[in-house]
Amino acid sequence: MKHDFIDRYSRLESPVHSIEPRAKALAIFALIVICVSTPPQAWWCFLVYVGILAVIATASRVPFSYLLSRALVVLPFILTVAVFTPFTKSGEIVLRVGFLKISKEGLIILWNAAVKSLISVTALIILSSTTPFPDLMRALERLKFPKFFTTVASFMYRYVFIIVDEAERMKLARDSRNFRGRWIWQAKTVGHMIASLFIRSHMRGERVYQAMCSRGFEGSFPRWNDPEMRLADVLFLALVTLAALSARVSLLWH
Amino acid sequence: MHIPDGFLDAKTSVATYIASAGTVGYALYKAKEELDEKKIPVLGITAAFIFAAQMLNFPVAGGTSGHFLGAILAMTLLGPYSGFLVMSVVLLVQCLFFADGGLTALGANIFNMGIIGGFLSFYLLTLVKKPLGRFGERKSLLFSAALFSWFSIIIASAACAIELAISKTVSFGIVLPAMVGVHSIIGIGEAIITVIVLTVVIEVRPDLVASFKSAPSLPYGGEGVV
Repeated sequence: MKHDFIDRYSRLESPVHSIEPRAKALAIFALIVICVSTPPQAWWCFLVYVGILAVIATASRVPFSYLLSRALVVLPFILTVAVFTPFTKSGEIVLRVGFLKISKEGLIILWNAAVKSLISVTALIILSSTTPFPDLMRALERLKFPKFFTTVASFMYRYVFIIVDEAERMKLARDSRNFRGRWIWQAKTVGHMIASLFIRSHMRGERVYQAMCSRGFEGSFPRWNDPEMRLADVLFLALVTLAALSARVSLLWH
Repeated sequence: MHIPDGFLDAKTSVATYIASAGTVGYALYKAKEELDEKKIPVLGITAAFIFAAQMLNFPVAGGTSGHFLGAILAMTLLGPYSGFLVMSVVLLVQCLFFADGGLTALGANIFNMGIIGGFLSFYLLTLVKKPLGRFGERKSLLFSAALFSWFSIIIASAACAIELAISKTVSFGIVLPAMVGVHSIIGIGEAIITVIVLTVVIEVRPDLVASFKSAPSLPYGGEGVV
């Protein structure tokens, strides 16, 4: 049904999509780590990071509106900090609204969390919207990530559509019988749904496992035609990392 | 409760990453004893199940809905090590593909929801379950699962609040009561769901519950029941 809800847009064709997954993942991870380690006062560093992401995002042809709407998942967290911190942190008061005092220190903390989380989230969304799930898992595996993780995650990716469909069917059946989902005693219905979803999933897993065994499965997937690092991939990785690093390192001279 | 990037400082990120990486390594080693390594397809599909289950929001009261974390349920059903690993895979995928939880905070998120809300709570569960054994295994398991799935949500949210406070993102005195207060209500929903799911699974396929030792060995093929 919804075959692309995990890695939507990852099968477009663009210069960014064709970058070797290992190089792309390392570049994005490096950008995030550099961004998170930047002190909040260096606002122009964040401009550089946003600039790098904007170039990658434009080249990837993934719609901006999609990237933005996905990036909003961090908003609740930012709002939590926004509600508490500026008013409660002691320090230089920049604004008074009635009995509320907004401190400079509090605002810096809010800015720090907001800008870093938004940049990092956008970077991860660009990565997952330009790299199909199996390719990214294979890249992590080649970067010496535990094989157990990547294999379990690959199975998850293959079956999540079926299980979610199953859950949606149950939901449809439930709602067509006048379930409103309003009060806590109706949790029994949801509990039964989750229980039968688990049993069905587990049975499906056993069937799949037996079918795979009978076809010679030995605990991991055979791999062929792994992409190799080309010059362009190395250049991309070097460019992104160096651009971000040079902004970050130039702080040391200020 | 998934902490994004930028909310933790370097020392908290690194410390929780080290703790989580170490635990993942140990769990990978122990999981080989718990189940046949080749049964990876079953674990993968269970991870997909946790994903789907988290989509089924449950009602809290009058319209607000909580959603379901499932660390204790996963550990009770699959055994602690496999349950922890499946939870870690889910957190990894949520981080990379759903931007739910940051990359530099992944260590902290696994630490909160897998180690504190998972292993620690599950260990306490087994401690409490044992002396209750005289009421029968089913009752003692259900009671301790109810207690500690509630507890696991609260302790995980407290760990999350403490990490944020250590990183000076929020002040301790405000965020800890707020987080613990909200999650002690959400935890009730979690406990109810966990108990109902366990009750049904023990009824229908007791052999699928790793923590339920007195399961009669069913002949394969209870498929007609569900």
